Amino acid sequence: MGIEARALTKVFETGRRRSRRRIEAVRELTLSVADGERVAYIGPNGAGKSTSIKILTGILHPTSGDATVLGITPWEDRKQLARRIGALFGQRSLLWLELTPRQSYRMLAAIYGLDRAAEPRRVAELGELLGASDLFDQPVRSLSLGQRMRCELAACLLHDPEILFLDEPTIGLDLVAKQRFRELLVRLNEQQGTTIFLTSHDVADIEHVAKRAIVINHGEVIYDDEVAAMRRTLLATKVVEVGLIAPLAAPTRPGVTLLEHTEHTMRLVVDTLVTPIRAVLDELLDGPAVVDISVVDPPLEQVIAEIYERPPR
Amino acid sequence: MTRRALVEAVRGAAQRVIAAPGGLGVSLAFYLVIVGVLSGLWRVAVENNGGDLAGYSAVALTWYIITSESATVAIHARLIADIGDDIGSGAIAVELLRPASVLGLRVAAEVGRTLPKLAVLWAAGGLLATIVAGAPPRPVALLLAAPSLVLAVVANLIAQHAVAGAAFWLRDAGSAWFLYLKAVFIMGGMIIPLELLPNGLQRFSLFLPFRAMAYAPARLAAGYIEPELLLQQLAWIAVLSVLAVAVFSAGERRLQVVGG
Repeated sequence: MGIEARALTKVFETGRRRSRRRIEAVRELTLSVADGERVAYIGPNGAGKSTSIKILTGILHPTSGDATVLGITPWEDRKQLARRIGALFGQRSLLWLELTPRQSYRMLAAIYGLDRAAEPRRVAELGELLGASDLFDQPVRSLSLGQRMRCELAACLLHDPEILFLDEPTIGLDLVAKQRFRELLVRLNEQQGTTIFLTSHDVADIEHVAKRAIVINHGEVIYDDEVAAMRRTLLATKVVEVGLIAPLAAPTRPGVTLLEHTEHTMRLVVDTLVTPIRAVLDELLDGPAVVDISVVDPPLEQVIAEIYERPPR
Repeated sequence: MTRRALVEAVRGAAQRVIAAPGGLGVSLAFYLVIVGVLSGLWRVAVENNGGDLAGYSAVALTWYIITSESATVAIHARLIADIGDDIGSGAIAVELLRPASVLGLRVAAEVGRTLPKLAVLWAAGGLLATIVAGAPPRPVALLLAAPSLVLAVVANLIAQHAVAGAAFWLRDAGSAWFLYLKAVFIMGGMIIPLELLPNGLQRFSLFLPFRAMAYAPARLAAGYIEPELLLQQLAWIAVLSVLAVAVFSAGERRLQVVGG
């Protein structure tokens, strides 16, 4: 088993003695992830995602509970585990800004004890896999965020990890860069069998990368199912945003809810289980009134709200 | 942790300093001003005291000052505060993802960051001392002063990490930074040779590690061939290393990083 957590709890204490507060960031968290899975680990801000990942990667010690990653207790043998996992925190860089990625890889290769002769070969392989070879000799600070994230991913893949922990890896990327990054993760999993454990606020990351979704809130698992099942039930609604140059009546089909309607804009929510999105788009585009149209996923907070509204299984 | 990792950390940090030499230029300008003023004051004091102060001639004191100042100015001035900020903000978490000692890599990187500056400052200081005061009193003593300077920097960096480790508990090391620098100024012999301190303070400083951080190489550069100073530095490095490892080991266990 890749990852096993049993009743994992983390309590932070803040403030001075008299005004000390206890914050339970993770509460009795129990989950397991098999080797080679692609798991989205999601929840609203403050749900305990990052804290639990930091426990599973050995950065934090839990207050109570037990966990193993690749058979290793992370906080007891952090260094041994670090040789077998990769971790990427979207807001924290693994690279040195003043150096080129290749110079950073040389340092990381020494830290991970990679064979000197094998190191250039591994860097070349990753450059090819990530389509980033031409970026490796430019100073990190001169790279765009999307380019830098590809180089960051190479940094955490340098030692060929068995599990990849990714905490908000697509944050700040543009649409093209996000899509490319998602494809890379899927390819990595399919070609090399790397287990992917991903947190994100972007519903599209979950839909395009993960096969399974674990949702936590207030430090507890509240949902654990295949993404396909989640898509059928919780991700079935889409938001349609329309720009108008002439008056247009809102569609009145079942499953379509009008959120906002002004002279120049219209926002609808479409339950695609009731009415196909295509039918709604066809109706809207059947005339000259529409100048702009986009279909977006509902925000993660809305998905989670729907989980709470569902009857318990 | 392997020697290769430490060597790469030193090399990588030195590369970063050389890649962005602006900071080095600012440090050099600051150093030359300080050294020019302090050595000038000491030369006046020596002349007014009949050409000798606690055994130091004007030339010896000039070489003392250019060496003690290079040992301290070469080190990033806000290091303790910056380490404290990294611990307090949780930025240090990324370093815990590597199969290596956070403390070891950090100290190695700071040594790498300091050595190019140290080489430039000491060379410029030596040139200035030769021009304004004269050649070193005993050039052979510089062969001992050079390794002693490196040991001084290593001792200082390890001690600063040990002090900054307080941030694991206090989440801030800003006030410790201020007190630490003042201790090195006075009890480390950075601006005043220890022989010129009042007797009580002079004896007290014998039991503190600060003398290993400025006084030892400066005394050697002033022409005193006292190899035991290097042994004392090595002993202090061993003691400070044990302390810093203990602080970081305990601190890493209680690291609090909330959120991403």
